Amino acid sequence: MADSDKVRLRLPSTIKSGDIVQVRALVLHPMERVERDAQGRIIQKNYNYVNKVIVTYLGKTILTFDTSQGVAENPFFSFTFRATAPGPLKVEFLDTTGGRFERTADIKFS
Amino acid sequence: MTDDCQVTRRTALGALGALGVVAAGGFVMGTPATARAQVLGLNESVQDTMKRLFGDRPIRDGEALVKVDFPPIAENGSVVPISVTVDSPMTPASYVKNIYIVADKNRIPFVTRVTLAPEAGRAFMGANIRLGETGDLRAIVEQSDGTLLAVKREVKVTVGGCGG
Repeated sequence: MADSDKVRLRLPSTIKSGDIVQVRALVLHPMERVERDAQGRIIQKNYNYVNKVIVTYLGKTILTFDTSQGVAENPFFSFTFRATAPGPLKVEFLDTTGGRFERTADIKFS
Repeated sequence: MTDDCQVTRRTALGALGALGVVAAGGFVMGTPATARAQVLGLNESVQDTMKRLFGDRPIRDGEALVKVDFPPIAENGSVVPISVTVDSPMTPASYVKNIYIVADKNRIPFVTRVTLAPEAGRAFMGANIRLGETGDLRAIVEQSDGTLLAVKREVKVTVGGCGG
């Protein structure tokens, strides 16, 4: 289920040891809104939206977002991390239908 | 002949077992996601959201420490870029644990909760959110010692983004 084509990560081109690095992450996702019937009642169903974003660096979870439908379509998030050692930075998006989208960036020092 | 029968029975049982696993997998994947969604993003008034998230804990004014970058006017409520930075040392002894974003006029006021570890290096978050109509947007910061700090700004929305 891991679909990495839909996730984009942007990092600075050069990272030095000890830097606080800002990362921008985007996932292509419809983020369905609440729908209502003619009487204005909410239609009860399992809406498909991203409700969890997990950022892991060197195997440790450093940041999570818990989100509701109040986040825009094709959700974009930015965050920072302290680059202490070279290694993988993984960003994972989970949605309410069990979908999982992830991408890993390899942090290297220059 | 008898052997054939046994094999068939085994195969059938094995297939049943596999079905069971698949069904259980689907259950496990679907349920926590839905449960989590029900816990955090509810269709309710902002007072109820604040009470549900923070109970009766005192919330202090955070203007001195919390810097919010909310646009004063959002032309399109479907995509409103926001960011929040908190002045915090981000050491294991003192760091920002959570940043909540709550939109007063949204039908689901809870927008997002960011949970940070000291390794994040800076208490910062950015996101694109939806706003249904003009109203206050709040950032509530929970520090590792449990202190709550809140900042709010009015965001004017020209075209709402929550539909219905």
